[in-house]
Amino acid sequence: MTTRLRNLNMTLHYADDLKLFKSRQSRVGIAVIILAGVLLPLSVKDDFWLSVLNYAGIAAIGAIGLNLLTGYTGQVSLGHAFFIGVGAYSAVYFGGHHGLPLPVWLIAAAVVGGLIGAVIGPFALRLRGNYLAVVSLGLVFIGLHVFHNWRSITGGPGGTSVAVPLKLGPIDFTKLSIGSYEYTRNQSFFFLVWFVVAVAALLAKNITRTRPGRAMQAVRDRDMAAEVIGVSLARYKVGAFVISSALAAVAGALFASYQQFVQPDSWNLFVSIQYIAIIIVGGVGTIFGSVLGAIFIGAVPQLVDKFSAHIPLVTKSAGGGGGFHLTVFQLNQMIFGALIVIFLVLEPRGLAAVWLRIKAYFKAWPFSY
Amino acid sequence: MNRGKLIRLVAVIAALALITAACGGTKKSSSSGTSNKTLAAAPGFDPTTNTIKVGVITPLTGPVAVIGQPLTNGTATWFKYINAEKLIGGKYKVELVQEDSQYKPDLGVQAYNKIKNDVTVIGQLLGTGVTKAVLPLLKADNAMAAPASLDADWVRDPNLIPVGGPYQIQMINAASYLVNDLSQKSNVFCSLIQDDAYGQAGQQGIDFAAKELGFAVKSTAKFTAGGADFTAQVQQLKGAGCQDVFLVATPTDTGKIMGTSAQLQFAPQWVGQSPTWIGAFIKSPLLPYLQQHFLLAAEGTEWGDTSVQGMTDMLDRVQKYSPTQQPDIYFVFGYYQAQAVTALLEKAVQLGDLSRAGLVNAMNKLGTVSFNGLTGDYQYGKASDRNPPRNSTIYKVDPAKPGGLAKVKYQFESDAAKKFSF
Amino acid sequence: MTDFLQLTFAGLALGALYALVALGFVVIYKATGVINFAQGGLVLLGGYLTYNAHHTWHVPFLLAIPIAMVLCALVGAAVERVVLRRMVGQPVFAVIMVTIGLLIIIEQVVTGIWGFNQMPMGDPWGIHRLKAGGLALAVKDVWTIVFAAVVMIAFFLFFRYSRLGVAMRATAFDQEAAVANGISARRIFALSWAIAGAVATLAGVMLSAGGAGVRPDIEFVALIAFPAIILGGLDSPSGAVLGGVIIGVTQTLTSGYQPQYASWLGDGFGSAMPYVVMIAILLVRPYGLFGTREVRRV
Repeated sequence: MTTRLRNLNMTLHYADDLKLFKSRQSRVGIAVIILAGVLLPLSVKDDFWLSVLNYAGIAAIGAIGLNLLTGYTGQVSLGHAFFIGVGAYSAVYFGGHHGLPLPVWLIAAAVVGGLIGAVIGPFALRLRGNYLAVVSLGLVFIGLHVFHNWRSITGGPGGTSVAVPLKLGPIDFTKLSIGSYEYTRNQSFFFLVWFVVAVAALLAKNITRTRPGRAMQAVRDRDMAAEVIGVSLARYKVGAFVISSALAAVAGALFASYQQFVQPDSWNLFVSIQYIAIIIVGGVGTIFGSVLGAIFIGAVPQLVDKFSAHIPLVTKSAGGGGGFHLTVFQLNQMIFGALIVIFLVLEPRGLAAVWLRIKAYFKAWPFSY
Repeated sequence: MNRGKLIRLVAVIAALALITAACGGTKKSSSSGTSNKTLAAAPGFDPTTNTIKVGVITPLTGPVAVIGQPLTNGTATWFKYINAEKLIGGKYKVELVQEDSQYKPDLGVQAYNKIKNDVTVIGQLLGTGVTKAVLPLLKADNAMAAPASLDADWVRDPNLIPVGGPYQIQMINAASYLVNDLSQKSNVFCSLIQDDAYGQAGQQGIDFAAKELGFAVKSTAKFTAGGADFTAQVQQLKGAGCQDVFLVATPTDTGKIMGTSAQLQFAPQWVGQSPTWIGAFIKSPLLPYLQQHFLLAAEGTEWGDTSVQGMTDMLDRVQKYSPTQQPDIYFVFGYYQAQAVTALLEKAVQLGDLSRAGLVNAMNKLGTVSFNGLTGDYQYGKASDRNPPRNSTIYKVDPAKPGGLAKVKYQFESDAAKKFSF
Repeated sequence: MTDFLQLTFAGLALGALYALVALGFVVIYKATGVINFAQGGLVLLGGYLTYNAHHTWHVPFLLAIPIAMVLCALVGAAVERVVLRRMVGQPVFAVIMVTIGLLIIIEQVVTGIWGFNQMPMGDPWGIHRLKAGGLALAVKDVWTIVFAAVVMIAFFLFFRYSRLGVAMRATAFDQEAAVANGISARRIFALSWAIAGAVATLAGVMLSAGGAGVRPDIEFVALIAFPAIILGGLDSPSGAVLGGVIIGVTQTLTSGYQPQYASWLGDGFGSAMPYVVMIAILLVRPYGLFGTREVRRV
């Protein structure tokens, strides 16, 4: 039983503190988000924004995993791209070569990712901080080498097309039909991706608000002290790797099934850096931030592209060579880089912190000073 | 909240949901549009302004932009000429819609989704990875695209508009030149290839030629694109005593390979595929080495050669519409690829249908397209009937020419190349 | 045997190149604790500025290098002043992300000004070689090794004997105490970025010399220099050089012998081998060869 004074959210029991949605506002908020998430693909037909959001959703799953590892447990990993690749090729193998149904290949990808994460995890016990980061970078390059050469699954440097079953019982995620209406691949896929995002976010949030989450944060803050009070470093560091690589593998599997074509060079260092960018811009150590960051990094370059067409002195087309010549495409990149810099200078704790600030402002309103 | 309020709220939400859901779906029983004799509006074609839009998805930033920029400029220059002097079917202008793919397949997919309903065809799609990622979408939409690389895979695809003789043909003709014209059959042949699909395409041609012409490839060295050091590969070839080496690389790596070879005093007869060359080499210290030891297997003719009609016309148009353009083989490629796209559009206008189905139909009915000597004539039509050009031009390095290349043997088709099947 | 020596020499030259890039990273990390992802951008800028000085301003090549070094140092210090200064005290992740954002901006500015084509540097070393025994030593490679050695010795002397160098070490060790002693931490930070810019110019020049030419993808060498930095220890200049040499020699020897003797490892193992070596060494010495062991208190 909870006793609540209006707008003050005082709680009497410990269990209430752990609740996911503490106030009526947050419950209404999540209901609105779910409703919007369900209605959006049904009402929007624009394949472009749907594909942007689909890729962003896939990135969000990977980012949630990385945030668990780096944000909550403090193990900086630049090797995320490798696990995404592992997931993609698991999908190719289980879904493509063996034709297993959707839930099977998706979970198999998670299992394979987790197992490999369990192998890599013990390295984290030996290395710390920046050294761990760069060793994980090595994982990406060794992974690239393995993917290049394991031609039977990856198709070698030329890549392989991916054709996996995407049906869950009567629901076909390549062309959904509700009543007498049919929906496109992008619209149907949106449901699959963002449903998995919701599941991953719930899973991660449950981990972080209970005992394992507290243990992980203890490891991040002061691992020696944590060990002294009885938190098993081996268990939580390796465990964090397992979960994060499982989630990354799920993201990779969905990526491969969505794009229908993958090549080994796709899983390079830039992808790892992009994920680090997502969790930093979104807010290190928050789940909501991972999703926000993924949407930001995925959608903002496209938004910049839309509006920069109106900037004078910048040409839309490629040039003939000679002299200072800035195309709108180069400008887009520059604006994107500048946005990241400016945003982080102003709010280093990322989008989630901005969101919390807004919430706090309105909670104390009209006494917001 | 009491029960009545709750029921009302649920009803409102359900109504909203049904309405919005109806907006996004398409009724299953909807019929496709009817065709009529006058040119109807279609995606990318606006009959009120008589404008046909053509899409371009190329890396315009990032390291591959060194290819993407001149490529797009070539296409743009051709269409500037069309808009100023000829017009499609005497009536329609062409407008380019450009998107930057940064050479990444996922961005290419997003770019395609962005412009697919605004354009009739994708007139330029650079990158094997990008093309292969966009291909399933093209098939789902029954749309067409022109891939900007010389992969043999594109020949037999009904949704693609290939141009030029594929890489395999270049290597076969090059081998034929060495064996027949330079009488080097008894030499030691080797190859140095990039470790990816592009390298494999060239190697496939080399192996075919070896079988047909009766020589053996003694040593094949591979390297990763963008590698920092090539001493190991050069030593491997030098140790095998290679006298003729086929090279499949990109200009950056070519420069390093040639530099290392010069330093290690390894001087075989190099024969490179068309993308190995860049004009900047004539200003580099590599020039003497290249002049003596490097041949390029490509198509068409050298920049500035007025004996070929296609080149004369192109130079004229460069002068008028893009005077700052430096000699660049990618510019030429983009230029004649645009000619292929134009031929397709002209055919579609002639048949009276610029819709996607109409374009696929036009491609099936398109005969042989000539490029006035810039590249070999391409026999289009149904995918199974197509025949790409099987000729190549061999160039040597000549700093006196604007592009740094002088043709040695122009547009020839070897017997071995005739036999290669796609 | 000549093959082996030839490969080793090429590896030493490659390692010297990595060392030049790694030294820039190490200087910034030592002074400010930041891993500067924009170092590749400074390498790029340094190479292009040298090209510009030599070709557009018609300065003789050997004078163009110091001019470009000074300019690039100024850019580094300016970046530090304008952007990084505001990030002092912020979480490390945010600072790293800012450097990544800066890298994106620098890339676009450089290609906007000079275009995407590769251009010959115009260096006097070209593809000349020295003969020594049966070996052909590229003059450009010899000079790369010389430059790396000179920079390493200069760093050593600077950090050990000069006032500014000692001040930098003090700031890296304990910022508060250093400031309390009258050392201006702001000046030290700016100086470290300036030095990184200057060293990056050297790296950019040597990457573009010879047949390769100055081109947009020289910034990616910074990524391959990461193992070199880590191997030697993030805050040790001599470690950076040793790490670079180990990585370079490993790469060339593996590329040379692996296809013959261990082809089961697959094609192109030479580019993965440095990382395997790095992981192996770090498992034994978790702070790199010469990195300072962290003192961890509960």
